[in-house]
Order: sequence, then C-alpha cells, then structure tokens
Amino acid sequence: MGRLEEKVAFVTAAGGAIAGATARLFAAEGAAVACVDIVEENVKKTASDIEAAGGKAIAIVCDVNDEEAVKAAIDQTVSAFGKLNVVFNAAAFTDPLLPLHELDVDLWRKTFDVNITGMFIVTKYAIPHMLNAGSGSFINISSIYGARAAKKRPAYCSSKGAVRMLSKSVAVDYAEHNIRANSILPGPIETPRLLVANKNMDDVINRHRPHLPAARLGQPEEIAKTAVFLASDESSFMSGNDCFVDGAYNAI
Amino acid sequence: MGMLDGKAALVTAAGGGIAGAIARRFGAEGAAVCCVDVNEETVNQTAADINDAGGKAIARICNVADETTVKNCVDETASEVGFLNVVVNAAAASEPLHTVANMPLEIWQEVMDVNLTGMFLVSKHAIPHMQAADGGQFINISSTFGHIAWPQRPAYMATKGAVRQLTKSIALDFADDNIRANSILPGAIETNRLLSRTPTMEQVREKMVPLHPIGRLGQPEDIANAAAFLASDQSSFMTGSDVFVDGGFTAV
Amino acid sequence: MGRLEGKVAFVTASGGAIAGATARLFGAEGAAVCCVDIVEENVNQTAADINAAGCKAFALTCDVTNDDAVKAAVDKTVTEYGKLDVCFNAAAYSEKRHRLADMPVDMWKSVIDVNLTGMFIVARHVIPQMQAAGGGSIINVSSIYGVVGAKERPAYCAAKGGVRMLSKSIAVDYAVDNIRANSIMPGPIETPRLLARNPSIEAIIERHGPRLHQKRLGKPEEIAQTALFLASDDASFTSGADMVVDAAYTAF
Repeated sequence: MGRLEEKVAFVTAAGGAIAGATARLFAAEGAAVACVDIVEENVKKTASDIEAAGGKAIAIVCDVNDEEAVKAAIDQTVSAFGKLNVVFNAAAFTDPLLPLHELDVDLWRKTFDVNITGMFIVTKYAIPHMLNAGSGSFINISSIYGARAAKKRPAYCSSKGAVRMLSKSVAVDYAEHNIRANSILPGPIETPRLLVANKNMDDVINRHRPHLPAARLGQPEEIAKTAVFLASDESSFMSGNDCFVDGAYNAI
Repeated sequence: MGMLDGKAALVTAAGGGIAGAIARRFGAEGAAVCCVDVNEETVNQTAADINDAGGKAIARICNVADETTVKNCVDETASEVGFLNVVVNAAAASEPLHTVANMPLEIWQEVMDVNLTGMFLVSKHAIPHMQAADGGQFINISSTFGHIAWPQRPAYMATKGAVRQLTKSIALDFADDNIRANSILPGAIETNRLLSRTPTMEQVREKMVPLHPIGRLGQPEDIANAAAFLASDQSSFMTGSDVFVDGGFTAV
Repeated sequence: MGRLEGKVAFVTASGGAIAGATARLFGAEGAAVCCVDIVEENVNQTAADINAAGCKAFALTCDVTNDDAVKAAVDKTVTEYGKLDVCFNAAAYSEKRHRLADMPVDMWKSVIDVNLTGMFIVARHVIPQMQAAGGGSIINVSSIYGVVGAKERPAYCAAKGGVRMLSKSIAVDYAVDNIRANSIMPGPIETPRLLARNPSIEAIIERHGPRLHQKRLGKPEEIAQTALFLASDDASFTSGADMVVDAAYTAF
C-alpha cells in the first residue's frame, strides 16, 4: 500500500532532476501524476519512466507563466484522473550571475514570471479542484537562497523569498478548507543544472564550505522523499512551514 | 541634549569590550549608568571613563548568577539614582570549545547559570523598578550564534537561542507596563574575548572577515549604537525584536 | 517492511501523549524502542502497548536530569538491542503561569533543567552510541514557543529557544559522523497535559483565536508522523532544521 494511494498530483518542472525524481516517487507511492514541463522531450521521458514502472502518469507540455496553458493543463489532469490533490511547484528559471545594477529588467521580470508568477497561476487554478476534493497539499520549491543570500543572484534570491511567503499566505487562507501549503528549501542538490555555473561537483562542495558540514551535496531523491511526506496525510498538521532540506546549510 | 537624558541604566558585563562600549555611550548620551561586572578592576575603569568624560556612573561588583547579590545590586542602583529604567543584559561566560558528547556537565551548567539564569535574575529584580518608573527597556545581548550554529559551542548557542525567546516573553508579558525588550545579535566583534580561542587578532580577522560581507570585524561601538537606539524613545514601537548587527554574517 | 526496520530508538517522555504516540509508531514501523519516562506506570503502559501489537519495546524509568541514570538507560538500551541510532527527546516540564518578575527562581531552574539540560544530557550519552552505529538521528521537541513568545511562560519559552539552537549545534558538530539533529516545533496539541491546564478543548481553541485556522488542536499522532519522517532515511539530507508542525499557526 503506497503512501499516496488514491491521490492525484500535478508536478511542474517534471522534466528536471528534482521534480522528475519527485514525480517518479509520487507514482511509486501510488499517486497518479501529471508531469508538466516546458521541454517536451524531458517530460515525456519522466512520464514514460513512470508508466514503465507500472505507475500512472501523463505528460503535459506547458509554460507555467501562460495562464491559458496552465488552466488547460490542470483541466486535462482532472479529466484524465478525476481530481487533483497535490501540487509540486518546482518550475524555476536559471538566471545568469550578475550583480543587481548589471541585471536587465527583462531578466529580472523573466525570473519572477517563472519562479513566482508561474507558481501563483498554477496555485490559482489548482485550488478550486482541491476545494472540490475537500483537501489538498501544495509543496512549493523555494531554496536556501530564499533564506540566505547568494552572490550575484538578486532576482533568484528575491523570488525564492517570495515563494516562502506565498506558501504561508495560501496556508493561512485555505487552512479552514483543509488545504495545506509548505515550502521546501533545498540546499545544493546534485543536478545537471549545478554544472551550468560550476566545473564539477567537487567544485560545488568546496565553494559551499563551511555550509556543508557533511561535505556532500544532496540528491534529488532526498527532496522527493520530503515531498512525499508533505504530500501525504502524515503531515496533516503541517502547513506554512519552511522545510529546509539542506544538510544543515542554513544551520551554520 | 543626549538621546538618553533622564534614563538610568544598569549594564552587566560593563568591564568587557561590548558592554563597556555600551556603558560609555549611554553615559555620553546623558544616562546615569550603573556599571556591573564580576571583575572589579575593569568595571571601575569603565565607570571612571564615563565620569572623566563628564557623565554620571557608578561601579558595582556582582555575579549575576547569585540572586542575593543581584537583588542588592539592582535595588541599591535604583535607590542611589532614584529610579531604574534601562537594563543591558550582557554578562556571558566564555566556555572552552567542546562538542555535546565531550562537554563536562559542570561547564554546561555554568554557561546556563551565567548566560541564562543570570539574565533571568537581573530582569526579575529590575522589572519592579521599571514598573515603578512607568516603563523601561531591556536590551539583551544574544548572538548570531543564537540564530545559526558554529562548531563546538553547544552550551553557548543554546543559551543565546534561549535569550531571544526570554526577550520575547518579557516583551509580551510586560507590554502593558510600557516595558520593551529586544535582543541584539552581534556578529564577530573585535574584543579581547575573541582572543580566548584564537591567538592573535590577525588570525581572527583571517578566519572571520571573509564570513562578514561588510569586510571587517564589528567594533564594540557598532553594538553600542544599536543599544543606544533601543534604549531611547526613538525605538518606541520596537519590542520583542531580534536585531542583527552582524555585517551581513547571517545573510549569506 | 516498516520504515524504521533495523533501527533502535530511545524515546524520552514516552509515558506522555506525544512521545507515547511516537514510541508506538516507531515500534509499528519496525524499530526496537526503549521507552523512557520518569513515571513508571505510564512508560510501562506504552511499552506494553507496543509489545501487545507484536513489536519490540521495553520500559525504563529515568529522570533525564540525572546524568548517571541517563547513561545507565542508554547503556541498557544498547545491551538489550545491540545499538542505538534514533533518539526522540521530548521530556519537558511546563511551569505554572507566571510573569517573569513573579516567578520563583527554583521554578525557573527546574524548567531549564528538565527542558534544556535534560536534552543535553540525553544527547551527550546517545551520540557516542550513534557514532559507533555509523550514524543516527536526534529529534528534539522544541515548540512554536521556541520561535514566538507565549504569555506568562518565560522559562518554557527560553528553554524551547535553547533546544532549537542545541539541535543546530549537534547538526553542525556531528555531520561528519553521519548524525543528523532536527527540532520539531509543535503547535497546540491535544494532550491530557494541555487539558489539565484548561477547562475544555473549546476553551483552548477559543484562547488561541484566529491563529488556529482550522479551529482544532493537533493530535499527538501528527507529531509522531513528523518524527517518523525525521527518524527515517527519508530525511537523510535534513539536518539542523526547524520542523514547525502547527497548521500555519506561526505563519500568521
């Protein structure tokens, strides 16, 4: 008996490493999963992995910043699986490293469009279905950089701080309807995305010392396992929480 | 006209670097200052400095962990000056480095007694005088290590986390009496105490400055500035706050 | 296959509601549980419940402020089950409501002793066992009052703020030994202890006002589920974190 049996989940950025691992684990725990991403090839791969393992999934190509497309994606999920109980909001834009005064307004807007406005849109269209279902759980991916600053990432840091407060706002407004919302703040996780700005993983670890007392990066599956806990009824009294999964990064 | 005219302040650990700077600044701003320390020589020096500069100060020897001494010290200060309306709680033990598993229970207990119970005792006996004076301000010195951790300081950090909450408790329970209470969380401040664990200030700088985005160690006067603001009526809507004065240490 | 198969857990205050529920869940998920409490009758009941369900447990009567007794209890656990790799630290004592100035010093000291020093004492004896076992997970029960203030509970607030930092200290110092340490901050939980201090559940809900968004108290089992997550390898990258389990109480 899986821990997410009978639940339907909508997972954005499911073509990526963290949300991909999450979508696969959700399905392995019994959820039907709508895998959503802007990159068709990647998201199809995640959905077909799930189906190959005997799980239930569909792949949807969708830009979370496109309101019509998001609405259609959520409708498609509900018509495929009958309802919607869990949303894993992970879509994020990889911003270039630039100090604030050198950052174009367009890049600032792009970061906010994807990281926070996209999350707003997904949340907005998911809530009515959760109200129908009588409960729901939002798991929003913030970052340790939603709590501590990273160098030359003004837009990313601000947008991830915004994610924490959006989650708390949803938590407070919909608590009476049994809809929960929590943020996960991952530390450095070993994903291909990290290699955009770093030579190799050892480099990443060295750069983050002394914030990584165990001297290792997190794995996408470690975020996925936290998401399963937050998606399941095991976390029924948890809402509005900032769930740091960071190998004690933020503790030091 | 000083910003603390009409205030009578009791400052613990006033023989030390940080609280000494606070006491001198308070004296310069017009407060009558009772300088309290367990070390007679250093506390007499601080009081003499204040008086030499044209301020008003007295010195008292007192172990804050001893209730009878604390009560006498607080009561005598109030009767000598006529009233008491500001308390700076800065006394803290400086324990040798230990992890939880190898720290002797006696050391843990001593840190609890001075850093935490000492603050409780001074506050307990000062509150009736503040009530009689129609209000007052507590400035409790926590630490950035009351917010984030550092290797091998379990007792220190536990007490500094406790100080933040003790401060909030006072803020809540005595708001009706017009008593405010705030914590200051200093980063690494250039005092002799830093030399108890590192041989030279140069080595301290090498290790600590890179962790402070502002690019230098804090000076005792940086903390004194914040304390003067919190003791003054300029901060009249601030209570229960955690005031970080840390050059960005906890922002990254 | 349980989620704690092969693990040995040491659970303090397990004669009480929250730790009792946790001990039972740990047992049901395959852990061998040493149930510890100061009240013999209650802790025997918890161990008997676990045994009756066909799971492994034994009971020990022990005062967590007694260093020798705690060491003996930890040794006994290891003798019985061969190792120790999970510790749920929940022993706590709440003072009768007092504002700080009216609180007797002995009352302050006994709260700090049980709630803070007791956790230190348990941690210092379980850590060497966890090192020997190749790793472990320490779960310390703080409170939302380790983050926000509560009226007329200065010692409880201070101790719970201390617990929060003690967890981070352990997280940072023992990451190299693969030992994780996290705090749980429960909101108001429906326990006999809470009911004993209040006329009725309705009165508690009324008193907490708009922050209790669901107009219900948490259940001990909801804290147990969070503890299970933290005890399990699902939380392998989670250390030094504050898990607030309060249905958005402190988010508001």
